[in-house]
Amino acid sequence: MMANRLLFAPFVLRRSFSLSSAALNKKNDSQLVPTKGVADLKDPRTVLEADEMKRKELLRNSVIEVNEPMNISPIIGIPDEHIETRRVRIFKPSKNTMQSGTNNINLWVIQFECRERWENPLMGWTSSGDSLSNIDGWLRFKTKEDAMHFCEKNGWQYSVEEPEVTKRPIKKSYADNFSWNKRTRVGSK
Amino acid sequence: MDTLKFGDLVGVDKYGNKYYQNNYYFYGKNRWVEYNDKVFFDYDASQVPAEWHNWLHYMTDDPPTTNPRVQYKWMIDHTENFSGTNRQYVPYSTVKQKITQWQPKDGQKIKYNVK
Amino acid sequence: MLRFVAASCKRTANNPSCVVWLKECRRHARTSGSKQQQTSAAQETKPKLLEVFIDEKKVLVEPGTTILEAAAMAGVEIPRFCYHERLSVAGNCRMCLVEVEKSIKPVASCAMPIMMNGMKVKTNSPMTKQAREGVMEFLLMNHPLDCPICDQGGECDLQDQSMAFGSDRSRLQVELDPKRAVEDKNIGPLVKTIMTRCIHCTRCVRFMNEIAGCEDLGTTGRGSDMQIGTYLENTALLSELSGNIVDLCPVGALTSKPYAFTARPWELRRVDSVDVLDAVGSNISVCTRSGDLMRILPRENDAVNEEWLADKSRHAPVDGLKAQRLTVPLLRPSKSSQLQMCDWEDALLAVGRALNGIQPSRMEAIVGPFVDAETMVVLKDLFNTIGSENVYLHVDSDLDKSCFPSSKDLDFQKNYLFNTSIAGLEDGVDLLLLIGTNIRFEAPLVNARIRKAWRNNLINDIAVIGENGLDLLYDYEYLGDSTKVLADIVAGKHKIVDRLKKAQKAVVILGQQILKKDSDSNAYEMVRALCDKYGAEFNLLHANASTVAAFDLGLKPSSERKTDNSDEQSLLWLIGVDDENLTIPNNSFVIYQGHTGDICANTADVILPGSAFTEKQGTMISMEGRVQQTLAAITPPNMAREDWKIVRACSELANYPLPYDTLLEVRERMQQLAPHLTRHSNRKLEKPSLRPPPISSVSAQSPVSLLPRMKSLVDYWQTDAISRCSPTMSKCVLSTKKEFDKRGIKY
Repeated sequence: MMANRLLFAPFVLRRSFSLSSAALNKKNDSQLVPTKGVADLKDPRTVLEADEMKRKELLRNSVIEVNEPMNISPIIGIPDEHIETRRVRIFKPSKNTMQSGTNNINLWVIQFECRERWENPLMGWTSSGDSLSNIDGWLRFKTKEDAMHFCEKNGWQYSVEEPEVTKRPIKKSYADNFSWNKRTRVGSK
Repeated sequence: MDTLKFGDLVGVDKYGNKYYQNNYYFYGKNRWVEYNDKVFFDYDASQVPAEWHNWLHYMTDDPPTTNPRVQYKWMIDHTENFSGTNRQYVPYSTVKQKITQWQPKDGQKIKYNVK
Repeated sequence: MLRFVAASCKRTANNPSCVVWLKECRRHARTSGSKQQQTSAAQETKPKLLEVFIDEKKVLVEPGTTILEAAAMAGVEIPRFCYHERLSVAGNCRMCLVEVEKSIKPVASCAMPIMMNGMKVKTNSPMTKQAREGVMEFLLMNHPLDCPICDQGGECDLQDQSMAFGSDRSRLQVELDPKRAVEDKNIGPLVKTIMTRCIHCTRCVRFMNEIAGCEDLGTTGRGSDMQIGTYLENTALLSELSGNIVDLCPVGALTSKPYAFTARPWELRRVDSVDVLDAVGSNISVCTRSGDLMRILPRENDAVNEEWLADKSRHAPVDGLKAQRLTVPLLRPSKSSQLQMCDWEDALLAVGRALNGIQPSRMEAIVGPFVDAETMVVLKDLFNTIGSENVYLHVDSDLDKSCFPSSKDLDFQKNYLFNTSIAGLEDGVDLLLLIGTNIRFEAPLVNARIRKAWRNNLINDIAVIGENGLDLLYDYEYLGDSTKVLADIVAGKHKIVDRLKKAQKAVVILGQQILKKDSDSNAYEMVRALCDKYGAEFNLLHANASTVAAFDLGLKPSSERKTDNSDEQSLLWLIGVDDENLTIPNNSFVIYQGHTGDICANTADVILPGSAFTEKQGTMISMEGRVQQTLAAITPPNMAREDWKIVRACSELANYPLPYDTLLEVRERMQQLAPHLTRHSNRKLEKPSLRPPPISSVSAQSPVSLLPRMKSLVDYWQTDAISRCSPTMSKCVLSTKKEFDKRGIKY
C-alpha cells in the first residue's frame, strides 16, 4: 500500500481511501487496476482471498443491532464525575404565579442537583464547575419517557415527579358578585 | 547543586546559602548555589536574595562579598515565595459579603478569617 | 452542551424521543391534552354536559362553565388581565373578548357562562383579533413605557400579551392627550406600588377582600380618574397574605419591595421546594441567581396552598438566611473561654471525644423546628447504637405541654395528624371547632382555606374555644376560653353538643401553641375524648415543619425529658433548637448544630454549621402527613455542610460508624424505619388507616384557659430563628405596630 501511495498522484490516493468506506464502483475499479510496468503494485482484491472479501462485503452492508439500552456515557467525553454522581429530577415545570401564561408547563424538563457556585473576589462574578446545570429548563421533552431515555443514555440516575392529574373543574359566575344568599357578594370594589 | 561539583566558595548569605564559582566549568554552569541544609529538599530559587541573584545570573561579576549592596532603612528583608503554603499572599476581596456570620448577642466577638 | 444534545437527537432520528423542537412539542402537548379531555368526558357520559365548539374543537362542559374555562379545557388559552381562576369574576379588562357565532358583538369570555348546547366560539377570528388589538391599544395608551426599569419586566402579562395580541402601532398623540400619571402609595414594607403602571384589573382588590379578608384596598374615582388605593393615606396592609398581590398583579404596579431592582426573571434559576416556616408544607419555588437566594414564590398545589403563600414564608428566608449564619465550626477550648473558629477536624474530634467519654444515659439530643427527616434518622441511629434513647423533638418551654401528644400517643398517626387534610376543609364540613388556636397566624393558608369554604357557604358553623376577640377573617361563635367548656362538651352539658351530634362531619382543630399556665390543661386528652365521643375528626395544628416527621420516627416530645441535678458530665446535642428557657443539665457539653446563630448557640461548647432548607435535599412532612422534599437551590455557605452528613461524620469519630454514606442510602434506612417517608409526592396524600382506641374517660382538672401564643399580627412576623434574623420582618413588625397605633387597636 505504501508503494501505491508513493507512486500514484494524490487523485489515486483519495481513491484508495474511498475503497475502504464507500461501495465499490466498476468504473473506479478500472482506474485502480495496476498499470503495466509497476509489477509490485497489486489490487487488494487479488491479494485477499475470495472468502475474506465476501466476509468484508457482508460486514460493510450489514447493520449491527445491540439489544442493550444505549449508553453513550463512555464515549461522550463528559468526566465520570459528572456521569456517576449526578442525580436528575424529571418533572413538569409548575406555572409561574407571576404570569398567567401556561405555554411553558406542558413539557417535561430535567434538572440536576445543585452544585457549588463560587464568587471571584475581584469583581464578584460567579463561577461554577457544573456545566450540566445549564441544561436545566432548556432541554425539554414531549414525554417523560423521552426524558428518562435521555438520562439512561447519558448514564445519570434520575427520579420522576408526576404532576397533578386531576383538577377540579372551575365553575364560577359573574352573578356570584351579586348573589343575595352567598358570602361571595362583593362589599367593596 | 544536586550534582558533584568542585569550586571556590565565593560567599555565604545571611540565610545560610553558599555560593560557589569554578571557571573550569562552561559559562552558565560556573556559578552555583548550595542551599542551606536546613531547608533540605524544600529549596526554591526564590530563596536566593536579590544581590546574590544578580551575581548568580551574571548581571554582575562582583559578588556582594566584595561589592556589598547599599543599605537603606526602608529596605525589607528578602523572603522566599510562599505560594502554595499557608503563608501565601491572598488578595482581600473587594466584593461585599452576601452572608454575614453570626456574632453572639452577649458582647463577645468571634474572629472569623474566612476567605 | 447544546450542540451535543442536537447531535444526539440526530443520532436517534428514527426514535421519536429527544425532541428539542419546541413548537412541535407544544402542538403535541395541546392536541394530546384535548384528546384526553374528550375521552375522559366521553367516559362520564352524563346527559347534562353541554357541547361547545372552541375553534371547531368540540368540548363537553358542565352548564354554567365560562367560555374561558371551556377554552382552557380545549387547550386554547384566551388572554386575560382581570380574570384569575381563584378570584371572583370581574370582567373589566375586556382582554378576553371572543367572537361567538350569532352574537353581533364580541363577548367577554371570562364572564359568559355556557348555557346552550352547540355554542360556537372563535378565538382566532378577525373580529376577536381586532377586539384584542383595540383593548391593548387603550391599555397601552395610559401605561408608561418603562419596561427597562420595571421589576415585572420579563414576566409581565402586559408585555407578553402586547407582543402576542397587540397592534404594531398606536394612534396615541401624546402632545394632545398626555399620559395619565398617578401618585404612588405606601402600603407597607412588603409591597411597592408604582401606580402609574396600574391597568385597573382589580385583582389586588379582589384578593385582599376575598382571600385575605382585609378590606383595606379598594378603588376610588371613575373612568380615567379611577385609582386603586387604601382610601386613607399611608396605610400599611394589615394582612399576613399581602405578598400575594405582587404575584397577582399582571403589570408592574405592585412589586415586591425587598426584591426591588435586585434581579431579572430570566437570570433566575428556579428550584421547586417546600416551605418550612410553618407546618402547612406550602409548595414553593426558590429563585436563585449565582448562588444567591433572590426570592421565593409559591408553586401551585390545589391540595395545600392553592397558589398563595404566607408573607413570612415568602420574605423571611430571603434575607433571614443571609444574616447571623453559622458558616464555620466553632469550638470553646474551655468552659470559661470564648468560642473560636476551628477546623471541621477539631470540632468533630471534640464531639467524638464527648460521645465516647460520657455515659449514654446522660446524653440527650433535641431537634428543632426546621430539621429534615434524614437528619433525625441518622441522629436517632447514632444515639441508639451508642445506647441512648434520649432523642427528642423540641417543645417550646413557654407552651403548655399537655396540649401535645405524649410518646404513648405516637403509635397511631391519626393521633397527631391534621386528619381532615387541608383540602378536606372544603368537603362538607358541618361544624368546625377551633380550640386554643389563632389559626390565622399559626397556619395562614389553612385559615385562608377555611375562609374560602366559609365564603362559598361550604362551612357555615364555626365555633372557637380560646382567645376572645380574635380576628379570624370569618364569623364564628365564641364559646369561652377555659377547659371547663371542653369538659362540659365531653359531659354533654354544653349547648353546642346538639349541633355536634347532628353534624355529619364535624372537624375539631386543636392548636399546638397554647401558652403555659400554672397547671396543666390536659387539653390533648380532653379533645381526643371529645372527638371520640361525638365522632368528630381530630386535627392537630402543628407549629413546626419538623413535628410530624419526628413523631413518625418515634422521637419523643422534649417535655418528657428527665433532667436531674447531678453534676456528672452530660451531653446535650441541639439541632436548630432556639429557646430562651431551655433546661440545660449541670456540667453539660452542649453541641449546637444549625444554620443560624440565635439563642441557644450562645451556650454551646461546639458549633457545627448546618444548612438551611434552601441548601439541602431533605424530607419534610406537613401537618396533614404529606411527604414532600426540599431541594437544594444553593449550596451551604463556607464550611457549612448538610446536617445528616455532619451527624454521620460524628458517628465515625465516636467509633460507631453508621452504615450509609449517600443520601440514597440514608433514605433506604429511612424506608426500613418508616416506609411512607420515602414516598415523596406533593400531590398524593396517604391517609393512615389504623384507628387508635378511643379515649372514654378524662380525669377532671381545674379549669385552665387555652390562650394561643400569637395574638395579633405583631406577633406573627418574628417567631423563629430565620424570621428573627430577617430585616424585612423587623420592618413589618414596626409598620404593623405603627398602623395599629394609628387605628387605635391594642396589640
